[in-house]
Amino acid sequence: MPRAVKEIHQSTGVLIECDPSIKAIILKIDKDSGHGYIVEDLDDETLVVKEPKLAELKLRLEKILERTQMLEKDEESDPENPG
Amino acid sequence: MSGNIRGFGYLESLPPVTFRRLYQQPATALAIFRRMLPNLAKTIVTTLLYNETPVTLGDLEALVRPESYREREDAFSKLRRLHIITENNLDVSLDPVFKKNFRLAGDHHSFGVPCNAEDKKKITVQFLDDYATRQFEAILHYMVGTHNEVKPSKGVITLLTKGGLMERYGAGSSATITKNGFSFLLQDGNPQIWALLIQYLEMSEELGMEQTDVLHFLLMLGSLELGQAYSVNTLTETQKLMLADLRDYGIVYQRKSSSDRFYPTRLATTLTSESGGLRSASASMSSAMAKDAEEGKGFIILETNYRVYAYTDSPLQIAVLNLFVKLSTRYPNLVSGRISRRSIQEAIKMGITADQVIDYLSAHAHPQMRKSLVTLPPTVVDQIRLWQIEGERMRTTTGFLFKDFHSTQEFEEVAKYAEELGVLKWKKPARRCMFVTRHEQIADWLKRRAQQQQPKKVAA
Repeated sequence: MPRAVKEIHQSTGVLIECDPSIKAIILKIDKDSGHGYIVEDLDDETLVVKEPKLAELKLRLEKILERTQMLEKDEESDPENPG
Repeated sequence: MSGNIRGFGYLESLPPVTFRRLYQQPATALAIFRRMLPNLAKTIVTTLLYNETPVTLGDLEALVRPESYREREDAFSKLRRLHIITENNLDVSLDPVFKKNFRLAGDHHSFGVPCNAEDKKKITVQFLDDYATRQFEAILHYMVGTHNEVKPSKGVITLLTKGGLMERYGAGSSATITKNGFSFLLQDGNPQIWALLIQYLEMSEELGMEQTDVLHFLLMLGSLELGQAYSVNTLTETQKLMLADLRDYGIVYQRKSSSDRFYPTRLATTLTSESGGLRSASASMSSAMAKDAEEGKGFIILETNYRVYAYTDSPLQIAVLNLFVKLSTRYPNLVSGRISRRSIQEAIKMGITADQVIDYLSAHAHPQMRKSLVTLPPTVVDQIRLWQIEGERMRTTTGFLFKDFHSTQEFEEVAKYAEELGVLKWKKPARRCMFVTRHEQIADWLKRRAQQQQPKKVAA
């Protein structure tokens, strides 16, 4: 069967493996920012993002999660040295 | 690895031209051979070295047991990337420049010319070790902001800020340590020095110094002998300029800047120790630092209840501990504190990994702790790792995505090859997509395969 000569595509990036819920948030961040992060959406739990953008993405993700999650009290107290 | 501190491996990404120029010096060719090649690659180089005619790839591959397939591919790929071998169809030979100069290795002025005239003041190895320790520790002390009688020079401070290990807000303010700086502090001695030198290499380019000259000198230092004086006169102008900077880092010693001789310190002579001997090289460094040996050998006690006792009064060690331990009490020769979820997660936020913490603790464990079968209490070690995972919402791997394979067969072949190399991270046959951690070998392989297949297609 004749076939157009096609190069195997290769791109640099960071593979992210996470829960589908986290991935949904990442998709939303990507969409809201005009698709600046994602290189390739692979499946429910995996995607590839641009490497230079990873730190920024993590930061935005943390911010969103902070709003949705109650911060638990830190169990810092030490029985021998209270306070 | 956290942060983006570049170490010795960074050299691999230099352009081919740089390598060709590097191989013009026997000392450099030898240093690259010793430090950058895996053992199998060394065997291949020595096999080719005194063969006047090229050797076929098949013959070379026959040297390796079939089951060591992965090592073989790794060795060849490294040799190709460093441009040490050249290939003509299936004939392999050494790069002529590399071959010529590697044969000269051993006795050549590029290994430094010893200064045999008696020095007025005898310089002992002990003196050099003290000097190197003082200079290098001054840099580390400066980074954590402790007061120390030796303050690093302006050049060092520029290097630290340029390299992103420290940061300066506003012109007049003093520099403060960055995330990268913290993970730098937790590294071993040799990677630390290389991280600084690689940064230096980049900066030297901006200053208009000849990059290959700089590299020649750095790689040559590794083949010099400790305690021997070397002549300054055979150095190039660039290299003479470098001496002043290397003095600041504690890598070489000169009594006066106008002196016509220099002494490499142990930091210099261990620079290109064989990669396998790295740990021991840095260990020999720390055991050589006699004063530190007592403290450095082990001063930390970690109990199963997460309490930490550290027998030290060194501000540097306390500052490093403070990165991941909540310190509560300080006595003249002891600090105590506790590792907690918060202290570990704060460390992780600064870019320190759980493994770095664990490595540091076990490297500096008190001799009393070493008496037990496992140095550190396993529960605490596991917990530290768990605390790290807990904070992570996702697992990330830097690498390369391959897609758009022509056929399922092609995809499977590449996937199999990647798996054998141990670089395959993720694949999805349904989409003919895969993610690998390193792509050079696969790209090479694809290219060679394409070449092999081309004539067949024409024939068919």
